[in-house]
Amino acid sequence: MTPRGLLRFGPISPAAAGPLYEQIVNAVKREIAAGRLSPGEALPSVRALATELLVSLITIKRAYEELERAGIIYSRQGLGTFVADNGAEEIRRARREQARRAMAQAVRDGRAAGLSDKDLIDWLWKEL
Amino acid sequence: MADALALKGVTRRLGNFALGPLNLEVPRGSVTALIGPNGAGKTTTLDLALGLGAPDGGTIEVVGLAMPADEVAIKRKVAYVNPDLNYQPWGRVGRALNFLRKFYPDWDDAACERLLADFGLERGQKIAALSFGARIKLSLVAAFSRDAELLLLDEPTTGLDVNAKLRLFGLILDFVKREDRAVVISSHQLADLERVADQVAIIDKGRLVIFERMDRLVARFIQMDARLATGGALPKLDGVKALARDGERLRLLLDLDSASREQLAAHGLEPLSETPLTLEEIFLALVAPEAR
Repeated sequence: MTPRGLLRFGPISPAAAGPLYEQIVNAVKREIAAGRLSPGEALPSVRALATELLVSLITIKRAYEELERAGIIYSRQGLGTFVADNGAEEIRRARREQARRAMAQAVRDGRAAGLSDKDLIDWLWKEL
Repeated sequence: MADALALKGVTRRLGNFALGPLNLEVPRGSVTALIGPNGAGKTTTLDLALGLGAPDGGTIEVVGLAMPADEVAIKRKVAYVNPDLNYQPWGRVGRALNFLRKFYPDWDDAACERLLADFGLERGQKIAALSFGARIKLSLVAAFSRDAELLLLDEPTTGLDVNAKLRLFGLILDFVKREDRAVVISSHQLADLERVADQVAIIDKGRLVIFERMDRLVARFIQMDARLATGGALPKLDGVKALARDGERLRLLLDLDSASREQLAAHGLEPLSETPLTLEEIFLALVAPEAR
């Protein structure tokens, strides 16, 4: 049988963009954002997921730490790691913030390229 | 709980080769990669930990026990794999395993059968007729059939096909699911080690060059191409190693723990580009001769 974490959080590959831990962070976020992992649901243990994805314990620990810092998951000593109640909301909030920053950058790039505010708004409309 | 392996001031002289003084503490619950060029002292280090040869100086503790005083107890708790292990005197796979089984009280028969099937070995096979890779598989079966606390794996990927190699890394990660256990593995498969090892010890010419957490190591070292406007000699700076030089252009290895970009600028070095490095690239850069 295919191990549980393998299809859910994989594939984790050096050929994909970003460090391995970041790929795991993104995979967990994707699962939570899509509602396939619900608030309160347990994530695989660090050691179990390391075996399933064939990556070091450090890699999984770092991914979980990152997710915990972002308020997406929480861990309880001796019990395991769980999806936070507002985990999905934290991900949506982070994505909105990312989109806002990308837009701010686009405006700066546009101005640096000599575009007028009207050009920028026209372009945004086209994208919409 | 005591470290899985603790070497303090260990020295060993073998002909022209001198190891140490070596200080190394391998924590439990994790996988440690031991890497270095051929002849760097990896095998000597692992052999000393198993009591194959005695150090000329220093102390060695293995799973909290002192070598050589507790050698027998240590060997009960440590499993060892090395491409030179020779099982041929037992003739067939099954006879070799039956012998080892009686030797080690921690032997697990069910695990042994599973491992034989996993690695595609059969008890009736003649050891002399096994390929090089299949002989390594036999010593891996022997090592993982035991309930050891410490696994010392010296070049266990030699001659293994890709499938067997993945199986081995799966077994290693499975082994450290128990936090009182540890694995030390030496290999030249650096991309694989970068993926599965938690710490890395780099040995060169008998000395420990660096011992660091894998994720920290990869974050610590970067490659920078820079221009030395003055064109003169590269000033000696902490954490800066010149890897190549062509006139005023330099390729540098930066250790961000001690080198800073501001410090480079203060010495007339103008950064042109920066790239992160893989374990393999960091290893090559660390053991490369300096270009001045």
